[in-house]
Amino acid sequence: MAGLRSFLKSWKARVVLVLAVIGPGFITANVDNDAGGIFTYSQAGAQFGYTLLWTMIPITIALIVVQEMSARLGAVTGKGLSDLIREEFGFRVTFFLMLTLVVINFGNVVGEFAGVASSLGLFGWSKYYVVPVCAFLVWILVVRGTYASIEKIFLTASAFYVCYIVAGVLAHPDWKAAAFATVTRPEAAGIRNYGYLYTVIGLVGTTIAPWMQFYLQASIVEKGITAKQYRASRWDVIIGCIFTDVVAWFIIVACAATLYATGRHDIGRDGADAALALRPLVGEYAYLLFAGGLFNASIFAASILPISTAYAVCEGLGFESGLDKKFHEAPVFYWLYTVLIVVGAGVLLVPRLPLVYVTVLSQVVNGIVLPFVLIFMLLLTNDRELMGEHTNSRLFNIIAWTTVVVVISMTVLMLFFHK
Amino acid sequence: MSLVALSELLGATVRDASGTVRGRVREVAVAPQEHPTAVAFLIVKTPDGERMLPSSSLKSCGLTIRATDEVGGWDKYTPSDGLLLLKRDLLDQQIIDVHGRKVVRVNDVELDATPVNGHINLSVIAVDVGARGAIRRLTQGVVPAFTMRTLLERIPPRVIPWAYVDLLETDPARRVKLKIVYEGLSKLHPADIADIVEDLAPAEREAVFETIDEGVAAEALEELDPKVQVSIVESLDSDRAADIVQEMDPDAAADLLEKLAEDRSGQILSEMQPEERNEVSQLLEFGKRTAAGRMTTEYVSVPDGGTVDDAIEALRQFEGSREAVATVYLYSISYKITGAVPLVKIAISPPSTPLLDLREEAITCLPDTPDDEVAGLFDKYNLVTLGVVDQDQRLAGIITADDVITMLRHAD
Repeated sequence: MAGLRSFLKSWKARVVLVLAVIGPGFITANVDNDAGGIFTYSQAGAQFGYTLLWTMIPITIALIVVQEMSARLGAVTGKGLSDLIREEFGFRVTFFLMLTLVVINFGNVVGEFAGVASSLGLFGWSKYYVVPVCAFLVWILVVRGTYASIEKIFLTASAFYVCYIVAGVLAHPDWKAAAFATVTRPEAAGIRNYGYLYTVIGLVGTTIAPWMQFYLQASIVEKGITAKQYRASRWDVIIGCIFTDVVAWFIIVACAATLYATGRHDIGRDGADAALALRPLVGEYAYLLFAGGLFNASIFAASILPISTAYAVCEGLGFESGLDKKFHEAPVFYWLYTVLIVVGAGVLLVPRLPLVYVTVLSQVVNGIVLPFVLIFMLLLTNDRELMGEHTNSRLFNIIAWTTVVVVISMTVLMLFFHK
Repeated sequence: MSLVALSELLGATVRDASGTVRGRVREVAVAPQEHPTAVAFLIVKTPDGERMLPSSSLKSCGLTIRATDEVGGWDKYTPSDGLLLLKRDLLDQQIIDVHGRKVVRVNDVELDATPVNGHINLSVIAVDVGARGAIRRLTQGVVPAFTMRTLLERIPPRVIPWAYVDLLETDPARRVKLKIVYEGLSKLHPADIADIVEDLAPAEREAVFETIDEGVAAEALEELDPKVQVSIVESLDSDRAADIVQEMDPDAAADLLEKLAEDRSGQILSEMQPEERNEVSQLLEFGKRTAAGRMTTEYVSVPDGGTVDDAIEALRQFEGSREAVATVYLYSISYKITGAVPLVKIAISPPSTPLLDLREEAITCLPDTPDDEVAGLFDKYNLVTLGVVDQDQRLAGIITADDVITMLRHAD
């Protein structure tokens, strides 16, 4: 854990000002609306119109509960999630969980570079140039430690997310229908529909991504937040979660009001299609903002995801890790980090790769894996020896276990109705 | 003698003298007070509760464990504080590798099983932190034990001898404490201790600073990031914190106390020795980003009428930091500063040389000189130390070059 701590420390020391106002919860929320999120929300809106808006409230509640658990685990134990899993559940469990984490996070990295490719594609730049260049930049920025200063830019540029809200408004949605759809009970027929279940699991997986729990907990530990100061952090987490999902709601609404309404139910091979389709409907600038926001979100997450995966895996399994180490001192750490970026970006170079399909798929896999990560988190947060008086409340346990059961059931149903 | 891995022992079936299976091994216990490496007993989970199988009753210790006596002879296990339980306290936990000066995670524990007088002597010899232990635990129960053993022998072991291990032990109330079996950690360089401490969780850091010698703790604390310093000092009780803080360089101590909440720093100050307390509280009153805030009040000064011999005597008596002795300051009868003599000149001059013959102009500044001007003076005159004087030209303290480097590095 310490490695990620010192990595975070080196760059976070310089963003102290920003961090004084917004905490780890808010940053994680920003990274959460990454390429995977934007594509999945867009696809949900384009394909199902307003009908999936009901998912937003339960997902937000689950997100708050889960993120709060991560933050509390970090504050009370001072350790990362992979460290705790290793110490409490042993080597074998940790090994397979880390293996899974690498695989799903690899999918997410591919998704981030897909976001890079399609956002810059809107400016007419070929993915065959931009993806390798961006991958190299991300690699070198993080390894050289210069990422620190760039972080501020990403964070500021996150204000771009507001543009999704603007785009949502400009799309002239039927507010009444959208609001109604948000609070209505879902139709029961959905659970027999493969595409419907697939998208709902994707929505859950992208909003409550497993890797974010590892990342948030590490950030809390790094910031030195202890059980005593935890009250303030709880609000940071809650506000971050609500912000994330408000943005998500507007993306769905924007795509529902434009793409779905005009009969374009599939945002297609390329995420840029979504933006291009928005162009005549919402105007020139909204579409440029959409592209800019997508690029920022993708590159932001692409800088954090591979390194945070490398830290989680190495620390859980006991390999040397840390950017203060030389390559030969921490070979597994550097190789894992490098391979995630190189291969993740390399996949994008496959001609005619369906970018949106691949990205949304990675989010669905997130959703399928989520319950298993959640089970570990639940066992840890209910361990009195570990958490003392900070164990889960009954309400939290009910919500989190319900999430586990519901997501697993949806996965089983989805596989059952798969044609 | 033969090697047994902890992961092989755990879960192994136990047969008593009659040959009947009585249960499985759940834990392996060492009683460090009695013997630092010898296994005291195995905790065996039997159908009627957990029992202690003393190692003196072990007949063989392989895939099955055989005892020399009947199950009736094994006492019921009751948890006790002084025990080191290898699975709970060691396996998968982080330990401090004193030799490699880092924190590592335990994949397995190697034990030695030697037959002595008809029973088996089991003792801990090393901690496995490499691939061998990892693969053994991964494949256990999937690959036949015998195949696994031959296979694993081809993997080069990465072990830390038990003598180089310091472990952070958690007692049943979940309070972490550092269990220094061999006092290895205290012997490390404070900078190495600081590196190790940075790799630990807050409770474990606290444990380290509660255990090691105050002087070493003070130096290690100085090496740490200010934020980490604060969280450690806040976690210690004020008595212990005062013991450590008063061993620190006064300027470092002042910097640290300034960052603490007022009542907390006041509490620590009040428990320090009067002399150290005065120095530190004096520094605390000065502005932080000025010469006064950067200076240390520990310096070497002698009357300007003295000789090299007097200067050497003063150096001998000096108890402050090594950086501060680079310059010996001279003062007049009215305690005004009259000059400075570099250590080199003193070292190469005969003892009877009058110091006035070696005198150089003392470069000084006033206490309210801001940081950037201080750095400017160091640059302009290539200084090693800079004197800080009051209005009457009396020396209040000195700034050393290492303080300036720290200051510049944290300038942004």
